[in-house]
Amino acid sequence: MSLEPQELSYLKSKIGREPSSTELQIVAAEWSEHCSYKSSKKHLKMLPMTGPLVISEKGYDSGVLDVGGGYVITAHIESHNHPSAIEPYGGAATGVGGVIRDILSAGTRPIAIFDGLRFGNIEKDKHARWLFKNAVSGIADYGNCLGIPTIGGEVEFDDCYSNYALVDVAALGFGKKENLIKNHANKGDLLILMGGPTGRDGIGGSQFASDLLESEDRSAVQIPDPFIEKLIIEAILEARNHKLINALKDLGGGGLSCAVSETADSLGIGIEMDVEKVHTKEKGMNPEEIMISESQERMLVITNKQKLKKLQVICKKYNIICSVIGRVTSGNKMHVKKGKKTFADISTEIVANAKLLDRPSKIPTYLKNIQKEKKIATIPNISKTLMKLFSSPNIASKIWIYSQFDHEVGIRTVIKPGQDASVLRLDNGKFLSAKIDGNPKHCFINPREGAIGCFEEACRNVICTGAKPIGMLDHLQFGNPQDPEIFWTFLETLKGLTDFANYFQIPCIGGKVSLYNETSKGPIKPTPLIGVLGLIEKNPQISQKVEPGDCLVIIGTTKNELGGSEYYEYIHKFIGGNCPKVDFSESKKNMKTVLELINKKYLKVVHDCAKGGLAIAASEICMTNQIGCNISLDKVPHKTQEPERVLFSESHSRYLLVLKQKNLSKVKSIMKKNKVSFGVIGKFSGKKIQFNKEKKSLADVSVDKAEKIWLNSLREMVLVG
Amino acid sequence: MAIFTVHVIIENKPGISDPEGETILNDLVLKGTSKTISKITTAKMLKFTIKEKDKKNAEIKIKKICDELRLYNPVVSKIEIDVFN
Repeated sequence: MSLEPQELSYLKSKIGREPSSTELQIVAAEWSEHCSYKSSKKHLKMLPMTGPLVISEKGYDSGVLDVGGGYVITAHIESHNHPSAIEPYGGAATGVGGVIRDILSAGTRPIAIFDGLRFGNIEKDKHARWLFKNAVSGIADYGNCLGIPTIGGEVEFDDCYSNYALVDVAALGFGKKENLIKNHANKGDLLILMGGPTGRDGIGGSQFASDLLESEDRSAVQIPDPFIEKLIIEAILEARNHKLINALKDLGGGGLSCAVSETADSLGIGIEMDVEKVHTKEKGMNPEEIMISESQERMLVITNKQKLKKLQVICKKYNIICSVIGRVTSGNKMHVKKGKKTFADISTEIVANAKLLDRPSKIPTYLKNIQKEKKIATIPNISKTLMKLFSSPNIASKIWIYSQFDHEVGIRTVIKPGQDASVLRLDNGKFLSAKIDGNPKHCFINPREGAIGCFEEACRNVICTGAKPIGMLDHLQFGNPQDPEIFWTFLETLKGLTDFANYFQIPCIGGKVSLYNETSKGPIKPTPLIGVLGLIEKNPQISQKVEPGDCLVIIGTTKNELGGSEYYEYIHKFIGGNCPKVDFSESKKNMKTVLELINKKYLKVVHDCAKGGLAIAASEICMTNQIGCNISLDKVPHKTQEPERVLFSESHSRYLLVLKQKNLSKVKSIMKKNKVSFGVIGKFSGKKIQFNKEKKSLADVSVDKAEKIWLNSLREMVLVG
Repeated sequence: MAIFTVHVIIENKPGISDPEGETILNDLVLKGTSKTISKITTAKMLKFTIKEKDKKNAEIKIKKICDELRLYNPVVSKIEIDVFN
């Protein structure tokens, strides 16, 4: 763990002396990319972060939205990529733990978990299968032990993640507005460390996350203990109810160094602490190790002398160790002692604010020709292609994953995983819809449009449940930012997200940047992951059983946009072509129309068209309802001719609606009134999924056969290989 | 060729915490009457039955299987192999 030479001289000039070795370690942890955001912070400011529902307070680790009736929801997203690539079970599990404590630190109860996972090619690569299987069980075991439902997520497999893993976890919290912790501290207040003991596990994790993953760094592996985490959640919430907490901070990357310096800096206080008072796992840990250890399941609490007794009683009840490790002082320094000896005495303003960088950026050369279209040979039998796509790991049903998660505990889950977005019941009579989405294949071909597409897709998914998007979380994952070409893709992504957020007035309420994601084969593809939260005032759109005679309607235009599609990449092994672009005004019109139709209760099923295009989206409705459908491509509003492009293009802003024949004329008149492009493209009946064009059959597959492949192929791939 | 029984014990390396063992110790054992116990660690055991030339070969073969198939994660765990006739 070390500072760059120029950072060291900057530090020396700031403090006007040689730093002590403990100070160096503290600063190195806090100035790592992972904690300081030194490459990205300047640029992240462009995202809109305020809105009528956004509540911001000093020192919050999670975003807070007012959902009415005196209630708030909190949301946060984190990743645990580097640890998960080495020890997928523990890495993924501790990732869940970390993000949950961020939710807790605002004083809200965690109510849901989402996971976004990325691995290499699991069809060919045994190691990728091992990583995938263990990351999923790590998330499942941790979330299930805590009694917090894992209600959704998404997975993608791509060669760019060979021997690597991206494990992103988002969490949602819920609570009363009056119970939010308003972080504050007065001179003489006490600094308490609650939870698990501090050990040598996870030493230097944040620094490690900012280095390239070249050799296995064993000490950075963190061991999950969900049982302690559960006790911490209950103890903190009880202490919150008794108003015993003045300020609260979770210990994550950078351990005590970051938690202490960031708390002191954001509250404008000084902190004096004694490492001897920290409860440790093993004897003989030196001050540096204690300050930077990333042992899990710990919280930092600031309280005062009067409240301490009560807090200790609560901790004792839950069998959690709490140690008084220091006190609040005037000034702005963090003073770290061991007994009477001083090991660090340094301004927290310096520690918590690394020098921000203005990294150079340059358009990547690979982008020059990548959008060139491929001439695809017309495939004689699209049925076969369709069946092959059902088994593609990126398209196949993810039931093998989410069936391992307890997604119902807490009895809030109204719409369960496997649908477009999951929906939770809130205590104020409203419903919260949430989804995370990413698409590295699109983002590689066009970082800006790809990122906008992820954002729109997440919006589409919550719209499908009848929710209005109210907030966004972004998780931006890239390779080494010192490479100007990679940094350019980061900036383009950010600009795209900003434009979309401004146009739709969806504030960014939280996020994370993870850089230096490199494998032995090079950088990962740009991988932004976007979470969108939506609010449903009254009734969520709960899917009803599709019956013979029901109509299938498509809203939105299908364009010649096969670039980055599953069809190009999985079937033709071709990376390139036109990346789908979102037309903002069309997108807005379509969203508004779908919500209007849902509110009028005209629709049985609403499903968005995404990966695999219209062909897959329509088939998914057939498979989940075990009914056939006869679909005519002639009626699909399109700007492209070849049937393959109409079937598999992944153009955005498209929705499939299923409705009763008797509602068709009313639905049509609303769609006409709103001037959206639409087509009545099919009728449900029988047991076959059929696609026709000009009365010629293009594909004809049995629903049962398709369903069997779609449902089982992922599990078989993982378990059988 | 003879038949051997091979026990493979997979346990956390020293210094790596063992929440399951600690929970059993603190929340079950120490809450009972057995106050003399100071540590419990958990491990997983795999029992193989293998046909091999001798004990040495049986051990080598099993070690290879454990490593290649990633039956344990060498980053956090270590294995102990015992061969019986």
